[in-house]
Amino acid sequence: MSKQPARIALAFALLVSACAGSHVDEPESPLPSDERADYAIFALRCSKCHSLARPLDSGIDDDEYWRRYVERMRRQPASGISLADTVPILRFLRAYSRAQRKRKQAQMEPPADDASAPNARTPRVPGSR
Amino acid sequence: MSVSRRSVTLFACLLTLGVLLGLFAPRPLRAAEEYNFAGSAQLDYHYVASGPRNQDVPGPSSTFQGFTMEAGLKVAVDISDHLSANVKACYGCHGFDIDMAYFDYRARDEFNLRVGRFSPSFGAFNLRHDPANHMLSDKPLPYDMGRMLRKGDWNNGVLPSPFPSSGVEIGGSHWAGTTLQFDYALYAVTGFKNYNDPHPTDLNFQETHLPYFVGSAVRPATGARLAFTARGSATVDATLGASGMLGSYDLKSELTYVIVGADFALRVQRTAFRFEYLLRRQQFDTQNPDIFKYAIAERGGDFFTKQGAFAEVEQPLSSLFDVTARVDGMLRRGNVSNLAIGSGADAATSLSPLAYRSYVIRETLGLECALERNFRLKGSAEFWQFSYPDSLGQKTALSMHVGAVGSF
Repeated sequence: MSKQPARIALAFALLVSACAGSHVDEPESPLPSDERADYAIFALRCSKCHSLARPLDSGIDDDEYWRRYVERMRRQPASGISLADTVPILRFLRAYSRAQRKRKQAQMEPPADDASAPNARTPRVPGSR
Repeated sequence: MSVSRRSVTLFACLLTLGVLLGLFAPRPLRAAEEYNFAGSAQLDYHYVASGPRNQDVPGPSSTFQGFTMEAGLKVAVDISDHLSANVKACYGCHGFDIDMAYFDYRARDEFNLRVGRFSPSFGAFNLRHDPANHMLSDKPLPYDMGRMLRKGDWNNGVLPSPFPSSGVEIGGSHWAGTTLQFDYALYAVTGFKNYNDPHPTDLNFQETHLPYFVGSAVRPATGARLAFTARGSATVDATLGASGMLGSYDLKSELTYVIVGADFALRVQRTAFRFEYLLRRQQFDTQNPDIFKYAIAERGGDFFTKQGAFAEVEQPLSSLFDVTARVDGMLRRGNVSNLAIGSGADAATSLSPLAYRSYVIRETLGLECALERNFRLKGSAEFWQFSYPDSLGQKTALSMHVGAVGSF
C-alpha cells in the first residue's frame, strides 16, 4: 500500500498544529483598547458573508457614506447585524478611516528628517481577511 | 405575450403598494449619491487525477480539467437613504453576464422593493456565491455551475448559482429585540428556460446567460423565502431558512419546475457550520418517447427529481490560514433523456450513462492562505463517488484545485 496518502495527511496535520497556536481574532499589533472591542464586533458580524478586506479596502472615508454602507449591509437577509451593532461597527470604521486619511496626508507631505515626524501609520488590523 | 392576468395584477398591486409606502416614508433633505466599486477575480486550476474523460474538451459527459477564470465587477450606488442601485458584470465559463442590475427601494426595514435583474432569494449560499466570499475553489454540488465531474451527465447542480433573472422582489427584515431576526422575500421573475429543444426534458441554464434576456412567452416564475436568525450570545448565531420556487420553462408554459430548499447555519465565534438541502421536481415533454432511456411510465412518468445537499465546516486556523471540510452530493430519480440539453436535436445518438436512480457524493478538504488581505491562495482535494461506472468501469475519482483569488 502506498505511503503517500499517509505522508500528505501527516504534513497537513503538522501544518494545522503549527497554525493552531494563534487565533484569528488575536491582535498582531495592538489596537487601542477602545477600538479593539469595536473591531471584534465588526470582525464577527461582517465576516459572516464576506472577507473583511471588502469594507477595509473600499476606499470609503466619509462618515455619512459609512452609515449608508453599514445600513445596506444590516438589511441583508440573515445579516445578524442589529441596530445596536451598527454603533460599534461604525465607530471602528470611522476610526479606521481617520487613520487612513492621516496616513494619506502623511504620504503627501515631504519626508521629514527629524525623529519628531508624525507617526501617522494606519493601525494594523488583525485577522482582516 | 402570454403572461397571465393574475401575475400582471399581482405585479401592479406590489408596485402600487411600494409607491404608496414610499410616499409616506420620511424623506432625506438631500440625495447625495455615493458610489462604491468592488470586484474580484479567481483563477483556478482543476486537476483530475483519474477518470477517462479528463482529456475531453468541455461538453456533454465531459470533465472540465484545466484553468477556469471567474471575475466580477460591481458598482453599488446609495442614491438616498431609501434608494440604492447595484450593477454587477461577471465573467465565467459562460462568457459575460449581468449578474445584477437592480434598484432597491426601501420604504422601511420590513419593506424593500427590488426591481431589475438579480438572483431571487433562494437558500443561503447564493449570498456568498462570489469566489472571494467562499473558501473553496468551487461551489457546493447543489449549486454547481459547470465545475463538477461528469457535469454533462447531470446538467449541473439542482440550482446553479448565481441564477440571475429579471423581475421584482419584495422583501424585508424585522428584528425582535436584539436576538431574533426575521427575513422574508416574495418574488416574480422571468425564471429558467429551454426554448432550444423541440421536446424539452430539463432546464437549459446556458439560455439564462445569453445576452438576449427576454422571456417572451413563459409565465413568470414565482417564489418565496423565509428565514429566522437567532443570537444565542454575542458570538453565537444560528439561521434557519426555507425557500421555494415555481415556474414553467418551455415556450408553451406547460412544463413546470418546482424547487424547494431548507438551510441551516450555525456560527460560533468565527467557526461556521452550514447545511443546505435542495430538491427540484422537473416535468419533461414525453411526446417523443424515443429520446428516453426507459419506457415512459403511465403514472408519474413525466418528471424527474433531483436532490442535493451539502454540509461544511469552516475554521480559521490563524491570521493566515482557514481550513474547510465539506461533504456534498446529489441524487437524481426518474427517466433519463438521451439528448444533450439545448442541442435542439430530436433523435438520440447515444445512451446517457445515468440510470433511473443515480447519485454522486463528494468529500472535500481545503486550505486557504491569505498572502495579503485581498489576495488568497486556495487549495483543495476532492474525492468523488458515483453510482454508475464510467467507460473504464471506475466509480470513483480524485481531483484537486489550486487557485488564487483577489478582491478589491
